[in-house]
Amino acid sequence: MRLLPIVGVALCAIGWSGFAHAQDAKLCDKPVQMEGFKTCADVAKAKAEGAFTLYSTDPEQGQVKLLAAFNKLFPEIKTSYVRLQAGALYAKVLSERQAKSYLVDVIQISDMGMILDFQRKGGFRQYISPEMAAFPKEARSEPEGYWTWGSVIMGGIAYNPNNVPAAEAPKKWEDLLDPKWKDAINVKVSNSGLQHGVWYMLKPILGDDYFKKFAEQKPRAFDSYVQQYGRLVDGQDKIIMGAQYSGYIEFKAKGAPLAFVFPETGVPAVPETYGIVDQAPHPNAANLFMDWFLSPVGQKALADALLLHSPRKDVAPPGGADTVPLDKMKLLSPADWNAFEKDRPSFAKEWNRIVGAGR
Amino acid sequence: MTVDILKPKLNGQTIVSLAVILVVGFLVLLPMVFLVEESLNVGDPMAFPPQEYGLANFVSIFEEDINVLFNTVIIAVMATVMAILIGFTLAWILTRTNVPGRALLERLMELPYYMTPLVGALAWSIIAGPKSGFVNQIWKAVGGPGDLVDIYSHFGIAWIMALFEGTVAFVMISASMKSMDPALEESARVMGASKLRTTLTVTLPLVMPGVLGATLFVFAEMLGSFAAALVIGIPARIYVITTAIWDSTLSYPPDYGRASAMGLSLFVVMFAMLTFYRWRINKGSYATITGKAFRPRPMDMGGLAWLLLGVCILYVALAVVVPVGALLLTSLQRFATVILSQAEWTFANYQTALALGPVRTALFNSLLLGFGVASVGVLLMALLVWIIYRSRIRGAGMIEYLAMFPQAVPRLVFGLALLWAWLNIPIPIYGTLWLLALAYLTVMLPLGVRTLAGVVLQIDKSLEECARVCGAGWLYQMRSVTLPLLRPGILAAWLLIFMACVRELGVSVFLMGPNAKVIAPSIVAAFASSGTELTAAMALIQTATVVVALVILFRLTRGVTKEMS
Amino acid sequence: MNPVTRIDVKDLVVRYGDSIAVNGVSFTVGRGEHLTLLGPSGCGKTTTLRAIAGLEQPSGGSIRIDGQAMYDAAARRNVPAEQRGVSMVFQSYAVWPHMTVFDNVAYGLRVRKQSAADIKTHVERALDLVQMRHLADRPASKLSGGQQQRVALARAVAFSPTVVLFDEPLSNLDAKLRAEMRVELRELQRRLDITSVYVTHDQEEALAISDRVIVMNVGVIEQIGTPEEIYNRPASRFVADFVGSANLLKGRRAGPDTFETEGGTILRIAPGGPEAGAEVAVRTAYIDLVPQPGDNQLPGTVRQRMFHGDFVQYIVECPAGRLIVRRPPVNLLDEGAPVTVSFSPEHTVLLRG
Repeated sequence: MRLLPIVGVALCAIGWSGFAHAQDAKLCDKPVQMEGFKTCADVAKAKAEGAFTLYSTDPEQGQVKLLAAFNKLFPEIKTSYVRLQAGALYAKVLSERQAKSYLVDVIQISDMGMILDFQRKGGFRQYISPEMAAFPKEARSEPEGYWTWGSVIMGGIAYNPNNVPAAEAPKKWEDLLDPKWKDAINVKVSNSGLQHGVWYMLKPILGDDYFKKFAEQKPRAFDSYVQQYGRLVDGQDKIIMGAQYSGYIEFKAKGAPLAFVFPETGVPAVPETYGIVDQAPHPNAANLFMDWFLSPVGQKALADALLLHSPRKDVAPPGGADTVPLDKMKLLSPADWNAFEKDRPSFAKEWNRIVGAGR
Repeated sequence: MTVDILKPKLNGQTIVSLAVILVVGFLVLLPMVFLVEESLNVGDPMAFPPQEYGLANFVSIFEEDINVLFNTVIIAVMATVMAILIGFTLAWILTRTNVPGRALLERLMELPYYMTPLVGALAWSIIAGPKSGFVNQIWKAVGGPGDLVDIYSHFGIAWIMALFEGTVAFVMISASMKSMDPALEESARVMGASKLRTTLTVTLPLVMPGVLGATLFVFAEMLGSFAAALVIGIPARIYVITTAIWDSTLSYPPDYGRASAMGLSLFVVMFAMLTFYRWRINKGSYATITGKAFRPRPMDMGGLAWLLLGVCILYVALAVVVPVGALLLTSLQRFATVILSQAEWTFANYQTALALGPVRTALFNSLLLGFGVASVGVLLMALLVWIIYRSRIRGAGMIEYLAMFPQAVPRLVFGLALLWAWLNIPIPIYGTLWLLALAYLTVMLPLGVRTLAGVVLQIDKSLEECARVCGAGWLYQMRSVTLPLLRPGILAAWLLIFMACVRELGVSVFLMGPNAKVIAPSIVAAFASSGTELTAAMALIQTATVVVALVILFRLTRGVTKEMS
Repeated sequence: MNPVTRIDVKDLVVRYGDSIAVNGVSFTVGRGEHLTLLGPSGCGKTTTLRAIAGLEQPSGGSIRIDGQAMYDAAARRNVPAEQRGVSMVFQSYAVWPHMTVFDNVAYGLRVRKQSAADIKTHVERALDLVQMRHLADRPASKLSGGQQQRVALARAVAFSPTVVLFDEPLSNLDAKLRAEMRVELRELQRRLDITSVYVTHDQEEALAISDRVIVMNVGVIEQIGTPEEIYNRPASRFVADFVGSANLLKGRRAGPDTFETEGGTILRIAPGGPEAGAEVAVRTAYIDLVPQPGDNQLPGTVRQRMFHGDFVQYIVECPAGRLIVRRPPVNLLDEGAPVTVSFSPEHTVLLRG
């Protein structure tokens, strides 16, 4: 009879270690009202920590702008960042943790598969922000507080009207298979979460053959939309397949000659997901950042810095009046993120072959 | 009066030497051990220690990555041939002919060394990119069809590599040409051979060993080259071993096993070539003892001399002037269109680049690391060099071998080995400047040891022996005789190491962290996510900073080196 | 222990990798004596000298200086160079270019932590001995070869050592300077009563300035003796050939004091000498061309004459063979002239086999 309590304790211990940080954290009792957002963080401690580090897939300049907005509110907290594409970023985070080097506070990865994997590994620390309630259910983790969607990105078709006459311009995904676009299309590398989303959503709709034929177009792969749009502008490529809409807005605002197409089939969309890392070096600053970031003030800063769409309904779309808001797009998103996650290895292998990256 | 016993002495000298062997061995060999272990990992790539061992990684290199191997060899061969041609021509012009302005030209030949291949590759992508590259713009403007040049090809990558490795070939071959006894050529001329005949039948065969040595050396370097393949190769879908390794570690899940296997294979090939080089051509020691350098009487080329001058200037133009010009032009524009008529001029790129905290931090870090590593490094290396070439310790040969070992490992591969090693050694310096400092110190060992060895070997042994016989203990002798005599060498080594640290790319890409950013990888990162104009500005800022730092240092040290000579 | 002996070398063996450079060498050096190790390059003389200094690691034997064991293979004892208290002048002078003349000479004194005043006195005295006092403040890199040599010398004696070792100190000087310096060196050594071991390959030099000479060849001692002994009574073919100029006649001992050459000529030889021997040596300078009473006399013909300035050399054909004869450069004989080759039995030395 003595066995039962022992087993019980053991089971609890195992259960506890597996969900060591899953003991229901709760929303704090008295969120503090800051300028434009509520926070549960210990602001004094956050300031004392004096630093904050973000790993994100967004282009460097954008991250700098975003972090600068945060730093403006809290000058005592020095910010730093690392920018890598999703696969590389996740690989780096995992490597660091293995080496017991805890350098990052908050990560953003644009591939939900990796996010789920990290959650399973116990990589996130649960923190319930008062701002999370305003996010749609699918944009929050289950249980809440491990990760939250910071923005939604979608991929369509982009081209330079100076190099592509209106008559020839592609309107559907199928148009990209036209042989005249051979050697003239660019895409993102297989590391990219968005590219994975494009593949995952379009394959069942357009058929298995689509990407086989697409391979014959010999598309070139790049790490960031900045490179992709740059090459459209200077004419080295003609078309972007799976073009990130926020990049289009950004470049258009700078005066680049660009056109964007939302094919009727729909545009694949994936979230850019943010979460606080377990054993972060500056836990209080991380909490503070999360609260600010998820609030309308932070989301607006994100929109200004990176022209990204917020999942929050009460935040205006980025850019000017021309920008298509989320609810006017036909978004194609995976229903089952777990299946999406499992799809990644085969996607990476196939995609690498398509873009000529060997193996 | 203390007396030694004849058994292994446990005096200060031996203890120091043992400590040095251990430290150097740890720095140099331990990462390689990890690399070997990881290359045999065929199970979970993130598991340590590996759960399953096997040779599958190596086998699949030949099954699935044949095109990578093919690319690597093709490009390396092309680049070597071009580099040797460049080097040989320049060496011949500058040592054997009466080309005007020889002294100035020799100094100019050092310039490409300040342009790192990374910056050069960026510049050439702007100059010779298809459709929008400078050259093609001009070509289109004068009515030419299509593209005249396309840098995004095997040849393009080889071209860039050759352009910058050409100076190395030049230095090696001209050293060989300078050490030729002029009497050998003169006796041919006296017997009636024309200049051409003399060159072909006497000069060429005599220089051949030096040229072959340079070829072997350059080829080995080309196999491990990274920057040009990264900037030009990846957009062109041309992967070589180094970029394939790079790619493997940057995807999820990171295929460390594949990367390690490729790295190890590359290392083995390079190692074999360098060992062969050392054995056959350099006859044993990496330290090239500068014997008496003859000044062969240069041949009078008449009017042809001006043409030769043009050739030299052309090289400098292609390697330095045109790239810097292209970068300058690009950095001052809003959009990287090179259609000058459409250009919008702006200083914004520089403002952004300088305002970008990370750029300033990266620059600062690079300079700091350069300073620190060079200062600590020269002391360590001076000690090493003395132990290797002057002490009677058994195992001195082993120390030399260890110190020169990193030369045989391609930088990128060593960076990978270090990454893997420090991911698994339970001291959390991964992602910090300390690890970078350690890594730099290790990879700079061959450079420093080689430079200092040249100086040490020129110090007559009897100068030190005399001090001993006069009653000076080892430490006193080092302080009062050896180190003062080594001073010019120490300064030269310091400068070389400093420069190499600030330009370092291969090792740094793997070991950086959010607060440990350095310049060259930052430029690479900027290239990926910041657009050409900003990258150009960053590249120029880096080059300018290095040049300024060096000018300052040269000024400061000129007094010292003058007094010594 | 004999108080007169300063240096005592016994059965010294020194190896270089697989080869043996010094193969069982034994000798003593008396107080105030000038001993020279003479031999061709590779004979082991420099190695022996450096072993005494402590700059080479021997493999066997022992070295004692002033009764103290500096090296003893049996007792596993090896005193490092800086503690042996001997001084050395190197072949390349080893004058430190980054110091002044004064600092060079003062080095040994500074190491011994003497007072500044004492250092000054000793240095100046040493510089006076070599007439370099006026250049005391000159940077050493700006000295001529001869001047460097003097500084090296001054440095060697500045801290008043009892033993000074010389490693071919004059070989880098030209002939005239060498001859002058030779004399000065000897003077200095006598004046300071220094015990010196001197290494040279120049046999003329060795004979001129030494108290005793040790002739060495491939790591072993061929002969030890005074210069006169070495010259007049060479013990072996090597010594006869290496030192001075000699005629070597093959044959065999015919009796207690006679030797029969291969050609059948009977010669009277010097008393003593080895039991059996196949060669006799006759110095070219000791052969006369007119008969002298008591000498071995042979008829001969002049075959060749070469005028050398200080002497004239003839090649003379005679029953004992072709002999080389050196005479003062007067009364020159023509080729073909008949002569009587004449040399005393004292100078006809039987060499050991």
